Amino acid sequence: MTIRNTLLVAVAILVAGCGPASPADTFRADPEAMKRGKSLFVGTCAGYCHNTVADNRDAPYLFDRQWLHGGTDREIFDSIANGIPGTTMIPFKGKLPQGDDDIWRLVAYITTAAANQ
Amino acid sequence: MRYSVTAVTAALLTLVGCEQATVPQGEAPAAGTPSETTAVEAAPAPVIHHWTNDKEIGRGDGPANTEHLLSAPSDPEQWLLYGGDYANHRHSPIDDITPDNASSLKVAWAFPTGTSQQFEVSPTVYDGIMYVTTSYNRIFALDAVTGEIYWRYDHQQPDDLRLCCGTVNRGAAIAGDLVLMATLDAKLIAFNRLTGEIAWEKTLADYAKGFSATSMPLIVKDMAIIGIAGGEFGVRGFFDAYDVATGELRWRHYTVPAEGEPGTETWAGDSYKTGGAPAWTSGAYDPETDILYWTTGNPSPDWNGDLRAGDNLYSNSLLAVDPDTGERLWHFQFTPHDVWDYDGNTQIFLTDVQRDGEAVKAIVQANRNGYFYTLDRATGAFMGATQYVEQVTWATIDENGRPVVDPRANPVEEPDFRVCPGNLGGMNGAFSGALNPDLGLAYIPTIESCQYFQKGIVAFVEGQPFMGGLPIIVDVMSGADYGHLSAIDIHTGEVRWRFRDPEPMMAGALSMAGGVVFTGNRDGFALALDAATGELLWKFRMGGGVRSQPVAYRAGGKTYVAIGSGNDLTIAGFAGGSVAVPEGGHLFVFSLPD
Repeated sequence: MTIRNTLLVAVAILVAGCGPASPADTFRADPEAMKRGKSLFVGTCAGYCHNTVADNRDAPYLFDRQWLHGGTDREIFDSIANGIPGTTMIPFKGKLPQGDDDIWRLVAYITTAAANQ
Repeated sequence: MRYSVTAVTAALLTLVGCEQATVPQGEAPAAGTPSETTAVEAAPAPVIHHWTNDKEIGRGDGPANTEHLLSAPSDPEQWLLYGGDYANHRHSPIDDITPDNASSLKVAWAFPTGTSQQFEVSPTVYDGIMYVTTSYNRIFALDAVTGEIYWRYDHQQPDDLRLCCGTVNRGAAIAGDLVLMATLDAKLIAFNRLTGEIAWEKTLADYAKGFSATSMPLIVKDMAIIGIAGGEFGVRGFFDAYDVATGELRWRHYTVPAEGEPGTETWAGDSYKTGGAPAWTSGAYDPETDILYWTTGNPSPDWNGDLRAGDNLYSNSLLAVDPDTGERLWHFQFTPHDVWDYDGNTQIFLTDVQRDGEAVKAIVQANRNGYFYTLDRATGAFMGATQYVEQVTWATIDENGRPVVDPRANPVEEPDFRVCPGNLGGMNGAFSGALNPDLGLAYIPTIESCQYFQKGIVAFVEGQPFMGGLPIIVDVMSGADYGHLSAIDIHTGEVRWRFRDPEPMMAGALSMAGGVVFTGNRDGFALALDAATGELLWKFRMGGGVRSQPVAYRAGGKTYVAIGSGNDLTIAGFAGGSVAVPEGGHLFVFSLPD
């Protein structure tokens, strides 16, 4: 991670720290949780939707920090949990093997990977 | 033709209640019914999407019947089937375009579709009329000599289609006085072939669950056979037979067994319930034995097989079926327990092959997994497989036709093994090959592009992609991908010649009796090759990358070759090639000078 990205993560954590703690914080500090978050992304979110490299697919690339529906942990969680009306991004709440925890692991992985881009 | 050319005119027509079919998106218009829309109801102006014809058109050939379909191999004035004939040879009997004169081909006429994305059509020609379908399910009836438009229908799609691989359609079928098109929202629509009015419309399945339909129906007897796509959404695959006259369902053949049926033992637990095995390409038919052949695609999820241990029948298989009942007679599975998306549904050719001095009725297929298979078409017995893709690393094939998989090729969480071919092939069911029976050569457009396969935790959510991982496009990123059209000896499986292209070749092929093969490339060129040697005879820059299936026909005393131009990066990006894929949707029709 570059110094710039380290600072970005630090700022993000500080900002998040101004409100209630994000469950994603716990998972960011847990290598096993981060590994599972990546695996969930690869197995369920990538493939034909959100690619791991930028391209012109309909589903947005998520690692460029261009958040279309809000970039806080909570906003990203809500996008995954509740879906995006008018798109094929349907609600994933209750759909992942370990429920909300898996959504928070995805939030932790996506935000960390985005910060590292 | 009853149509208007501007929104202003369209709105005026609506206000006065003319015979323009005007319906909201997603509803089928009542053919020939005057609009009942009132001025109050007319704001905002409805979408105009159906232009019918009330002129006398065609040559008076009458309804297209079984005799027309059976005479396809020898009738130069029609192109009725996706495969050109029931054996799928895509071989025209026309012999006046030869290696000596192909270089003088010129544009006779051209036609813009007004659509983007992959233009994968195989135009259909009958009675002097050409039927062209496009991405997003437009269909046009055109004068086959001049390109004049007779009628047009733009299918109104829901805004939440569930598609893996673009908004494609590969052509319309003709039966009797009807022309039939399958749609992205999983419908089958029958139009009067002369007026364009809708005769009937059937819903094949619920698109919101991941179903769609992209192929040209196959007309057998009085039935239209159509298969479904959705292998990337965990659907239960099937193909159907519909009564052409009424649209009634005759039978449905599911490609994954249900609880209690033979074959479920090849799926761990209840994984068969989301097993995929779509049937998204057209099949073949042997009128001598009255056997229908259909092929199937990948099991779901695509790239993680951990939860579906077993062979996963009847994914990636060739199925022989009784066309009257839909009953399966036998099957052969090319890639058991597929974890690479090696759909088994590339074009199958029915042909005789020589074995020990005798002709054997066979099926040959350049499979997406990199091997060229020969099977006995009476029994499904494996007769041999040869490697036709230059790079194959995932498996060898044993004496029974079963792959011997290199364990390093299986998807893992952090992959570093280069798996060849990549997930698109090899050949791919989205484009066709051709077969010249006189030369004994099959012409196979081919992708050469390898990938790493990465797997992850997968959750099934109805209507969402059910992938289990992704292919990492290492060759695309390094520029190592390329393509070729290969001529394969159907008797030995050996490659006779290759025409190489710097980019993966993903357009269909057409063989002509004069000794010329037509195809296209990613750069947007229509190409003519010497059928015996592969020498490039002619090329013409059409603009958009070529993903269509060329056809040939005679009309008005002349020979014509039709090729569509138009591509999209999304799927092409999996195979590689230029990032700046030329798009556009344009049909070009070529002929020799007078």
